[in-house]
Amino acid sequence: MGHSPRNARNHAVSGSENPERPQMEADIVCVGFGPASGGFLTTLARGILNPDGSTAIESGVAPGMPLQVMCYERADDLGFGVSGVVTRARGIRESFPELDSAEIPMAAPVASEKILYLLDPVGASRRPALMRLADVAIRALGPVLRVKDDAMELPWTPDFLEKHGGLVLSMGQFTQWVAQQVMGTGAAQIWPGSPVGEAIIEDDGVAGIRLVDQGVAKDGKPSDGFMPGMEVRAPLTVVADGPVGPIGQQLDRAFGIPEGHHTHDWALGMKFVVDLPETCDLEPGTVLHTLGYPEPEIFGFFYVHPNRVASMGIFVPSWFDSPARTAYRYLQHWMLHPAIWRQVKGGHLRSWGAKTLQESGRRGEPRLAGNGFARIGEGSGSTNVLTNSGVDEAWTTGVILAEGVLELLKNKQPFTAENLESAYVARRRGSWVDKDGRIAERGRDGFQRGIIPGMIGMMLAGLTKGLVAMPGKPMPPHQRVKTLEEYYRGRIAPDEIRAIRKESDAKGISAHAALMERAGWPQIPFDGELLVSHQDALLIGGKVQAPAGYADHVEFLYPSDCGTCDSKICIEMCSGQAIYPGENGLPAFDREKCVHCGACLWNCASANPDDPERGRINFHAGAGGLHSAEN
Amino acid sequence: METILFLSPSEGALSKNALEALATAKQLADSLGTTFSVGLWGDAPQAAADGIASCSATKFLAVTGAEFAQSRYATDAAAAEALGRASGATIIIGPSCSRWNRVLAGVAHRLGGRADSHVTGLSASNGAPAIARWYYRQRMEGILTRTQRPWVLAVESGIAPAWDGAPGTAAVEPVACASAGVRSNVTGIEAPAADQQTIRPDAELLFVTGAGWTKKQPDGQVKTEAAQKLILDFLRLSRASLGSTKSLVDLHGEGVATLTFLNHMNQVGQTGSTPRHVKGLSTCCHGEEPHTVGWRFIGERRAISLDAGCGWARGKADVLYVADAFAVMEKVNALLAR
Amino acid sequence: MPEYQIVVCGSIVPDPLQTLEPISGPAGPALKNEMMLPAWLDPWAGHALFEAANLASKNPGSKVWLVALGPKAKLQQVMMTLAQKVPFELVALDGPAGGFTDASETAAALAEAIQAIPGLDRSRMLVFGGWESASRGTGTTMQIVGEILGITDQFQGVDEIKIEASGALRILERIEGGRHQVSLCDAPPALLGWATGNLPEPRNNPQVGMANMRTIMPALQKAKPTKVGADGLTFSSVAVPKQARDTKIVKDLPADQIAAEIVEWITNK
Repeated sequence: MGHSPRNARNHAVSGSENPERPQMEADIVCVGFGPASGGFLTTLARGILNPDGSTAIESGVAPGMPLQVMCYERADDLGFGVSGVVTRARGIRESFPELDSAEIPMAAPVASEKILYLLDPVGASRRPALMRLADVAIRALGPVLRVKDDAMELPWTPDFLEKHGGLVLSMGQFTQWVAQQVMGTGAAQIWPGSPVGEAIIEDDGVAGIRLVDQGVAKDGKPSDGFMPGMEVRAPLTVVADGPVGPIGQQLDRAFGIPEGHHTHDWALGMKFVVDLPETCDLEPGTVLHTLGYPEPEIFGFFYVHPNRVASMGIFVPSWFDSPARTAYRYLQHWMLHPAIWRQVKGGHLRSWGAKTLQESGRRGEPRLAGNGFARIGEGSGSTNVLTNSGVDEAWTTGVILAEGVLELLKNKQPFTAENLESAYVARRRGSWVDKDGRIAERGRDGFQRGIIPGMIGMMLAGLTKGLVAMPGKPMPPHQRVKTLEEYYRGRIAPDEIRAIRKESDAKGISAHAALMERAGWPQIPFDGELLVSHQDALLIGGKVQAPAGYADHVEFLYPSDCGTCDSKICIEMCSGQAIYPGENGLPAFDREKCVHCGACLWNCASANPDDPERGRINFHAGAGGLHSAEN
Repeated sequence: METILFLSPSEGALSKNALEALATAKQLADSLGTTFSVGLWGDAPQAAADGIASCSATKFLAVTGAEFAQSRYATDAAAAEALGRASGATIIIGPSCSRWNRVLAGVAHRLGGRADSHVTGLSASNGAPAIARWYYRQRMEGILTRTQRPWVLAVESGIAPAWDGAPGTAAVEPVACASAGVRSNVTGIEAPAADQQTIRPDAELLFVTGAGWTKKQPDGQVKTEAAQKLILDFLRLSRASLGSTKSLVDLHGEGVATLTFLNHMNQVGQTGSTPRHVKGLSTCCHGEEPHTVGWRFIGERRAISLDAGCGWARGKADVLYVADAFAVMEKVNALLAR
Repeated sequence: MPEYQIVVCGSIVPDPLQTLEPISGPAGPALKNEMMLPAWLDPWAGHALFEAANLASKNPGSKVWLVALGPKAKLQQVMMTLAQKVPFELVALDGPAGGFTDASETAAALAEAIQAIPGLDRSRMLVFGGWESASRGTGTTMQIVGEILGITDQFQGVDEIKIEASGALRILERIEGGRHQVSLCDAPPALLGWATGNLPEPRNNPQVGMANMRTIMPALQKAKPTKVGADGLTFSSVAVPKQARDTKIVKDLPADQIAAEIVEWITNK
């Protein structure tokens, strides 16, 4: 652990090597602003200022001033590029006991919950034999099972999946609302458009962060108007940069992750925000989850916000074995399913977005704290993979850390690994987040063996509180991802796959559209309202932007070796078509289309020669991305 | 009863834009069943007045003096204010030119009225005048009426045919206007050399370059120099005006190798100007703003894009050619050069 | 060297490629979901601010204020991006920033706020703003601000300011035909409505952000609630134009033929 790939771009220009690099001191520096930082800063702010606004805890770096707390967010504005959710909001409500959801745009209390099993109306879905049999039976018993629009409502939602008493939220709007509350207190500054390039690692600990350089060419070399990224040194660095955050990755490499832990399980979530048609009678707070279609492995969600707006989309998990697992195309097929289309037809696409999720949950937990640093949120393994819940857990880890930090500050104890262990990690171990996370740990292992064992395993784990689970071994992508030939065996001949690949390489586009159509998926009937081309989706409701003067954040570490990759899954799965076949079909990157979902980081199917747990793509901190706060 | 004043600076004969505004004022007066007067200022406005002597204005007012020849806020505002007062008008209509646009709101303020600029339509119903104008950079159109008077307007060109009538001798009534305290002077005009001129407001065609010109082409190569030559050749051969997008212009500012002749003046759309041309041709355009906004005032619209599904051309352009703009423009230039 | 006091007026507008839709509210037209749309500093006002900062940096002792009228929460958000760009002191007014308010009311509020800035010296004052906003888009607000402040040296569509050896201001304004008019103004005070200027957007500088924060948060906290509307205006309609054209999609035609069609089209008067 701890070594960098051979030709990785060197962001580590240290202060001593480059005396021009500006420096600043803070008491606490926070990387990334999402729900975890939201919980952290909300709780911290209440502790470092008295109710009358006077200083309760004085700064160590600026005597006489209140604690200096800085938070740096890479996206161009706060709340850009995060997702829409349903959450039990247990931790969020503890922080805001008087919370009125009407204060938060697009928030609604959960009103009803349903799970729909979707039959395959087009005949292209790759269903296992058992499932096909079940489908026949369901159709035959249609009237008895109340099958409507090729969908069957499950008679009951297991307790562990229920979100009663919770909230449907737009995370963009929620995080903006939280940021307003936090900054309104004056206790912390939250800076968007400020990607953190790396942590300053000194003496077996973290001494602060460096922001990325500006005025550089795409390869990171100084160019016109070069401005070296500032160093912000602080006794405590809070890493909350999410599941694909570069600082989290850097710390994992530098300090290792606990024995037996891994992050092999992940999913890509992609969604639309839609203005529902007048004819749609779904109440705000309606929560609908689907399974079974477009592929058995792909789950769907449909959350209704106030004012006839809905967030809807799909999750494409790591254990879906297609190497051409384009989420956008599948999302359109899912939306066209009669049970969904019935609700949305006549509506209008407002915006679109994508994000990856760390789905190893607690088993993907890194070292939670060390000298001068602590990790919170999704990147710290807080997501509960059994209850499909992450926001509330992330928020709560932030709250727990803030409580620990306030205790250390009040006792004037330094942020050593030992002190953070007792003040934060021990607290977290005693929390509901950790307890529920343990129950969930093995809950999804069955999916490694297929959709049916997966569903059974999830039910077993949920109903026995984690005591029983279906076994299964999560694998890294290079062991998991099949070649196109393997995946389409019996459906598309290898020669034909090669021809399709060649043709799409020549056009500079991914092959998945041609492959899916060859495999029986119908063309999408673009209507300019709900069904638009992938490229147009990049421009709807907030164009994807990439400010000039920053280095490319996606870096192919061994570009010449990518030619030998069979799947080129980085191209096939890219959420924004930002990775495309360039020269000789090798992957190339167009930053102006990147939504920073990080799928390429997770899914690279070629093991890194220096560290087989990793692929051959570096995902750095980058500016830009989606400009939509509705997601 | 409204009283209407058509107001314009005069630099010799009135411009087409001013004659269109005159026609608009006359139309409004007719539809309101009222009359209108003319107010002009400049070093010798008599000539301009004579040019429109037969326009049926009830009177011609003028502020005359060498100091009123310059396109300058202090003197233009003073002259327009004096003419406004002398006419007693409740509605003042001027052309959307740089001189009138610079001062109309200040003049309205001095006269105790209100101003509206970029007016694209004037109508009267039940004796009440209403205007149409755009909001949010041409993304929505409002039709509105006002209670405050005088109502001072600048009307866009192209909303009415220019007034066309016989010249004659106008009986101009001089209006006194002081011009003390002038602290600014126009010292010249800077125009790009004829061969570098890429903005031609009078051109028939607006040629819009999208960011695609500077991107990797299907063969994997970036061909900025070829793009540059194709575009400049086309502009030279067609005498088209050039529009671009903020992102392209910004890239230029960042020192990234791109189309060197572009500057912020070429920006059209959300962050730039909204030029008016009879025809517009957008190239390598995918995803760039001209489709959504800058095109609003373009009559016939065509686009060349590699993406047949381009939602920004569909429904907005009359014709979308699904083709490589490099190949097409090379042939276009060859044909034009014949 | 002159020490300028540069007051920039500028507010926020929706991020440009958001989908905008008008709605009719009790106080007249408004934008649907206005408070949810991502916002940024009005582009031409932004250029004015960057030009102001550039001028100030070349003339030590100069100072820049930004007078912004907008909903406080949105202003706060935009300031977190803007504050990192260039040094300025914020004067915040808590009120609507939408395009359907009347220029004269906005101008009156801005002028009052400028007049209340302590220590302003007219002989050093330059008032900057955007030539036109991306919301109301009239290009009239700044003129009225100038009138209220008694400034009759006004320039609109400005792309450049240079200081002559004499201290006179050499100003380039956009005029017809893609040309610039060159004017010399003896000295401040003057008012400049900026077009795009020639400066690239400044880099995000965290230190500048930190320094600005010292005045921004207090300014936001004491932002004066400001009532601005459209008194006297009645909108009979506000609508997104019907843009749908029947687009003919021409595929699979060789470049030669496309070129011939285009040439015929552009040469056919």
